[in-house]
Amino acid sequence: MYLYLYDSFLNNKKYSNLLAKIETRLTDLGIGGKIFRLSPLRNLNELLTDETRGGTKTVVVVGNDKTLGQVINIAAKLEVTLAMIPVGPDNKIAQVLGITTPEEACDVLAARIIEKIDLGRANNTYFLSNISIANGPVTIECENKYQVTPQLRDQISICNLRPLFAANWGQVNYFNPKDGFLEILIQPLAAGFWSMFKKTNLVKNSVIPIKKIAIKSKESISVTTDGQKILKTPVRIEIVPNKLKLIVGKTRMF
Amino acid sequence: MFKKEGGDEIETIIGPSVQVEGNFVANGDIIVEGTISGSIRTEKNLRIGEKAKVFAQITAANALIAGEVQGNIKIKENLELTSTAKIFGDVKTKVLTVAAGACLQGKCATGEEKKAKLEKIEDFEKAEKQKSRLSLNNRLESDPIVERVK
Repeated sequence: MYLYLYDSFLNNKKYSNLLAKIETRLTDLGIGGKIFRLSPLRNLNELLTDETRGGTKTVVVVGNDKTLGQVINIAAKLEVTLAMIPVGPDNKIAQVLGITTPEEACDVLAARIIEKIDLGRANNTYFLSNISIANGPVTIECENKYQVTPQLRDQISICNLRPLFAANWGQVNYFNPKDGFLEILIQPLAAGFWSMFKKTNLVKNSVIPIKKIAIKSKESISVTTDGQKILKTPVRIEIVPNKLKLIVGKTRMF
Repeated sequence: MFKKEGGDEIETIIGPSVQVEGNFVANGDIIVEGTISGSIRTEKNLRIGEKAKVFAQITAANALIAGEVQGNIKIKENLELTSTAKIFGDVKTKVLTVAAGACLQGKCATGEEKKAKLEKIEDFEKAEKQKSRLSLNNRLESDPIVERVK
């Protein structure tokens, strides 16, 4: 049984035609189900818990990365399979999962290729894609064995899924959400005007596969999970292997 | 030893802007372009770039060094020092390749450890022979027929 969660921004009229198309396509494929529209007043946790108790096995998120990020924290604790229909702006995760358009997402949903993937956990918050750390003096303590100290201007992220800018790196070993590792990605920010036009070089970046880290700093620095929830340092991050069942497309980047 | 950039073998990269302190252990290949102090250990390949500075004990299967290393190096198979390499420490490896211009200050042991084992075997054989001679002598001395002949 399918449960469709529509994000609140889809109430905007400009999406009504697209949603109607999606619903028709889903009915044609025989995978229609209950539809719920999210709103700030609706408690997502209660809703999902009740529905899974009622027999819902697949939860389909209709929206963008932010919507998926909200649902993942609850879905990780439940026995459900998660899927996504990307609608609206900021849909980077869907591309990594091999879903580019809403129409394609319906076919992917019907094909039902299920992958059990790892999730990252920062303190008690689960994340699917990545964690980004604001600029500031931080120390990353890895596996309780060694410390990594990036420079002040470096851009630091902890990745589970492959970032889109790294799509052409060709490193199959990196950013695989099924390998039981997270990757620390440290990118030195280009200095000067002309450096804006320089291509990013893989060797200039640092990539360190890890299972468990702690981010520490003298002053409190913000850490953002999947571009939405903000935590403050110190933050403990670890990989939780095979935590989430996800429906993915054939063109997925892992 | 290493595949080209974009290959599937490369696993850990320490970029030029990064400093690592402590016991750095990796399961796969390591490329170091930054600074490491403490120790480096991998079961696979290690490459230390031209501008890298390593103040650490190194243990790896194969290594290619182009930068500066202060510490002892223990490599199971091949160690290659390029012309820009500067090593201040003892080196132990099976096969060592040194390019012209490389700096190596420290003890250097290359080749397999079999020689030492062979020596041990030879010593053991000598000891065995001596033992057998001694036991023969003892038997002869205690033999009544030999005593009569005497």
